[in-house]
Amino acid sequence: MTTTTAPEIKIFDYDTYAEGDPTTFGLPLEQYRHLRDEEPCYLQEFDDPMLIDRAWVVSRNEDIWEVDRNTELYAADRGYVNIWQVVPIDPKNGGMPAMLTTDGERHRAQRQVLAKGFTPGFVRKLEGKFRQYAKDVVDDALEKGTFNFVHTIAHNMPMEALGDVLGVPQEDRAKFFGWVDKFAAPFDTRITASFDEVMEAIGNLMVYSEELAELKRANPADDVMSRLVASGEGGDPLMSPEEIMGNVALLASGAAESTRTAMSHGMHELMRNPEAMAWVRERKDNIPNTLIQEMVRIASPFTHLVRTATRDHELHGKQVKEGDIVAMLFAAGNFDERAFDRPEVFQPDRIENPHVSFGRGPHKCLGQHVASLEMKILFEELFQRTSSIEPAGPISYVRDAYSRGVYELPVTITPA
Amino acid sequence: MKITVDTNLCEVHGDCVVVAPDFFDIGEDDEVVQVLDAEPGEEHRATVVQAAKMCPVAAIRIEG
Ligand code: HEM
Ligand code: SF4
Repeated sequence: MTTTTAPEIKIFDYDTYAEGDPTTFGLPLEQYRHLRDEEPCYLQEFDDPMLIDRAWVVSRNEDIWEVDRNTELYAADRGYVNIWQVVPIDPKNGGMPAMLTTDGERHRAQRQVLAKGFTPGFVRKLEGKFRQYAKDVVDDALEKGTFNFVHTIAHNMPMEALGDVLGVPQEDRAKFFGWVDKFAAPFDTRITASFDEVMEAIGNLMVYSEELAELKRANPADDVMSRLVASGEGGDPLMSPEEIMGNVALLASGAAESTRTAMSHGMHELMRNPEAMAWVRERKDNIPNTLIQEMVRIASPFTHLVRTATRDHELHGKQVKEGDIVAMLFAAGNFDERAFDRPEVFQPDRIENPHVSFGRGPHKCLGQHVASLEMKILFEELFQRTSSIEPAGPISYVRDAYSRGVYELPVTITPA
Repeated sequence: MKITVDTNLCEVHGDCVVVAPDFFDIGEDDEVVQVLDAEPGEEHRATVVQAAKMCPVAAIRIEG
């Protein structure tokens, strides 16, 4: 029998992720294990004016399912989205309401306005466009030969896809992408020099969303912005002006960076696992969804999200009070032995994969089928047109404890 | 085995369609998921149970 000392818990420190170990997906897996096994409802206190004061952290896969699904006990509409004090879609703290910060009937109503644009069948219609972006991206990469995968391959496709989904005209995309990039890592000074820059980008995006709304009211198209500004049968707008802005901010902050992150961590794992790489190569004409979901699992692009307890209750022996914040540590739930066979192993053919990277309840990622299709097509194109993909230097990570961005992933590719 | 979907709950997340495309589908104009085969054979139990489990709003019931 071995006795192990409890690891120091630093699951919300930037440096834990910035200096993460590439052999454990960049994640503090030992700390996560300790929490799941010994402190499944762990009280995290913060001492930073930019962050909330405290949160109960749940880390087991099953508990995350429960918190995410039980919206009556764990509300999304009582303030805060993650551990940050200020989030543009938090109406309780100066932001605008969006799907992710609304519950009950109003959430359902907002989701219904958009859902049709995100079903698996509708999304399949985007395949042709995505294929073209993937071709352009791989053309550019082949010309370079050696490059940072994050910028050259993983950046453009999710951005263009977001532009398409939302309906951003071609001539506005460069500036739109510029703002979106600013939210990706508000605390990594290599990406955003100061928090003011983030606020400025959000301001610009909000002004732009009103311009785009005007454009789509005048010329509706088959895109999300047109759905957001549409009117119902009685002639009343389906969404308030605040909800329109909130949902644009939600899409801008939730769609592109996350997909880029999943692609980058996924590529890194393939390069670490020659067998997995060969497995994918054999299936390059129709990449299975199991690979994509396994990439999304180990990437855990958002480490956590939070909810608010709506009444006093006990959770794993702890007294959670009404108004307390409860954090769902998705990244820990994705490595829970209670839910996964050998979770620390990257398995491209994993069939039972109850990962929580997209959430698990009524707020479950609306863009999950879009993101999965983007990844499938991009990797198909990349594998079809290369004979090898090799590391050209070590991976490094973005300095952030919420969004698990990859900062640099140098690779060299050889044409097929 | 009989599949029923509570159409008041379904929010077309599409998780069931991904798990069990032979039994669930969402057409372009559908407000809720369509059950393609409400009484699948016993050999499909695992797939159908998995689809029900994955539904984010627990709208799918399996009887029998
Ligand atoms: C790998 C990429 C992505 C990841 C990991 C991801 C993750 C998430 C997570 C964790 C949630 C909250 C789930 C919950 O609270 O239960 C969410 C919600 C959401 N995501 Fe994603 N997302 C990704 C890509 C996208 C894309 C591409 C889009 C849109 C094009 C998108 C749009 C949304 C929206 C609108 C919501 C709010 C849904 C609601 O509150 O009902 N996401 N996403
Ligand atoms: S998973 Fe649930 S909510 Fe989604 S389409 Fe199927 S029944 Fe409807």
